[in-house]
Amino acid sequence: MRHATKVAAVVAAAALGLAACSSNDTSGSSSTSAGGSSSAAAGKKIVVGIAYGVGGRGDQSFNASAAVGLDKAKADLGITYKEATQVNGESEAATEERLQQFVDAGATHVIGVGFAYAKAIGAVAKANPEVHFAIIDDASADSAGPNVAQLTFAEEQGSFLVGAAAALKSKTNTVGFVGGVATDLIKKFEAGYIAGAKAANPSIVVKSQYLSQPPDFSGFNDPAKGKTAAEGLYQGGADVVYHAAGGSGSGVFTAAKAAGKLAIGVDSDQALTATPDVRDVILTSMIKKVDVAVYDFLKSGSEGKDITGNKVYDLKAGGVDYATTGGKVDDIKAKLDDYKAKIISGQITVPTKP
Amino acid sequence: MSAADLKVGSERVVAAPRRLRLSPLQWVGVGLGGVFVLSVLRVVTGAQDVDSSGLLIAAFGLAVPIALAGLGGLWSERAGVVNIGLEGMMILGTWGAGFLGYHLGPWMGLVGAVIGGMLGALIHAIATVTFGVDHIVSGVALNIVALGFAKYLSVRFFSTLPGGGPTQSPPLDELPTFSIPGLSDALYEIEQKHIFFISDLAGVLRAFCTDVSVVTILAVLLFIATFYILWRSAFGLRLRSVGESPVAAESLGVNVLRYKFVAVLISGGLAGLGGGFLALVAANLFRDGQTGGRGYIGLAAMIFGNWRPGGLLAGSVLFGYTDAAQLRGGGTTVHAFLLLLAVLLIGIGVWQVVRRGRLAQGVVAVIVGSLVGTWYALTDIVPPELSSTTPYVTTLLVLAFASQRLRMPAADGQIYRKGEGH
Repeated sequence: MRHATKVAAVVAAAALGLAACSSNDTSGSSSTSAGGSSSAAAGKKIVVGIAYGVGGRGDQSFNASAAVGLDKAKADLGITYKEATQVNGESEAATEERLQQFVDAGATHVIGVGFAYAKAIGAVAKANPEVHFAIIDDASADSAGPNVAQLTFAEEQGSFLVGAAAALKSKTNTVGFVGGVATDLIKKFEAGYIAGAKAANPSIVVKSQYLSQPPDFSGFNDPAKGKTAAEGLYQGGADVVYHAAGGSGSGVFTAAKAAGKLAIGVDSDQALTATPDVRDVILTSMIKKVDVAVYDFLKSGSEGKDITGNKVYDLKAGGVDYATTGGKVDDIKAKLDDYKAKIISGQITVPTKP
Repeated sequence: MSAADLKVGSERVVAAPRRLRLSPLQWVGVGLGGVFVLSVLRVVTGAQDVDSSGLLIAAFGLAVPIALAGLGGLWSERAGVVNIGLEGMMILGTWGAGFLGYHLGPWMGLVGAVIGGMLGALIHAIATVTFGVDHIVSGVALNIVALGFAKYLSVRFFSTLPGGGPTQSPPLDELPTFSIPGLSDALYEIEQKHIFFISDLAGVLRAFCTDVSVVTILAVLLFIATFYILWRSAFGLRLRSVGESPVAAESLGVNVLRYKFVAVLISGGLAGLGGGFLALVAANLFRDGQTGGRGYIGLAAMIFGNWRPGGLLAGSVLFGYTDAAQLRGGGTTVHAFLLLLAVLLIGIGVWQVVRRGRLAQGVVAVIVGSLVGTWYALTDIVPPELSSTTPYVTTLLVLAFASQRLRMPAADGQIYRKGEGH
């Protein structure tokens, strides 16, 4: 009997642990800090409340990019802002409360960074019709409303370009993909990557590997698993591996370095942000310009032309792109720009599901 | 809990567990047999990754942190303290490794990992041993507190460092790894020829002499040391007696609480070292959420191993192996395991009927085995949603078969107060 109790306890605790993992993307420490004010420039006076997701302003990736757009808006448009970051495993009510506090403090524009804010934005926007809201990375009905801008990105288009780059650079005719968690969002990256690789070389073999299945979100934070999966892909013949695995990506770069092969970064220009000793294995990166979306939203607001509804930042809008840092894609730049032009003109339609 | 008191002093008849007593030569035979089975599986299914050296190296890498956490659990539970707080101690270990590893170098990072784990253990020891808090409650609380505390510390100490951030430490220097240069390459050549059995053996041997981390070697030494200390020394005998019958131990003059306290501290140090392996060897930085439940898996591996180091090691390697298999090309290799499972189940079923005369169990095993075999025959790959669960399913299956024979320390999980037996 005691034994059974114990096993049950282990299982229960593991479930608790996994439940904690599943809310990983909502982790972050609670901190509220007021941004400095500067002299107001022309246009409407804007007071911004920005709520970050994982890691907050200093995460060197997604949230940091949003902060860059915010700082640019402050310099150019003279906005003032307040910041806050989501807490690990918090309740939906706490998330809503954070947004409502911005409104109570007089914010005219509220931004939720990350799809974890979807429901909260939807609810708070409904309660405060006079305030403008924006959500990054979500276009679901949860967050929709007449005063909500749903800012999403055409990740598949950027992934198409790096997929083409991978195929053009591959000598083994095999390339790989490591996804953090098998969600629809990450599958968009995979779909675009495969399409791009096949477009550049129809006979190419693309091998995909995910690190965890939802609702287990540990795949975004486990460099050891990223390394293991990438090693498997490299040893299986791939010589370029693209990752869309957040914090696990550092493991992919380590594996690339050890194998003497190439890797492709994601979200930001990782040849600039990754650990210095692995930067030379990064062929290119698929850049997602969250800063452009944030700045755009605030600029439109200051001109009194607030964005509402779903706005997709695609190649055409400059929302996604490939990175040229390191000069490894200089020789194929013409071909990549040709694909880019074809996607922008609509000649190539990139699938969003693999 | 009060019912447990009634048991004190009552006689318990426990059948002596059947133990495998094999000579070293017979162990080599078992090993070769295992390689033979895998090479047959490789040739029959065509899944080349089943026993490749790459897979085995990855498997050892994934097994070490689990094994170290499990070894921590072993120390604590042998002294009668259930340690579900291993996960929290590991988390503190990863942070300690990140902090000291960045400031003082990777070797001090290992020390930081041990200190981090021991700090967590100190809380658990004070709560459970000194104040008599329920072990599960204290352990679960520790896991939650450690998660938040590591998070706070990383925001506080890593945010402003170059390359660091609120969720990760700056990059850490690597610890040395060892390869036997000539041998490793020669074995790789043989492995790549894909000759039946010979190449498989070369692959397995290569895994033992290629890129072996210094921490892996340390972990193996700690396993050997644990066995000798706990089962061959007076200190170990007393420590285990505290876990089996604290009343008897105290009546013979053993300071029960001190032994429990020390055991929990060692436990935390080992779990912390497991976290240090994750931060310094498996990755090259501390990352928030890096442990991903490995502390719980370590605890399961310890139960799997019947509270003994050898079994615990086997459980960890099995988990690491299946986890590595699903992470490297997943579906195909896991698909090959289906065939192995089908053959095993049918074999067990036939054995149950013919030798044991258990008709019902045998028929069920044969039917399930046939179903698995049919699944194997009709598909080419296991879908990723299922293949990612392989390590857990395997652990559950083996536990289900083995649980009849498991025996935990008799006083494990019971709260003991000084002088209770008087």
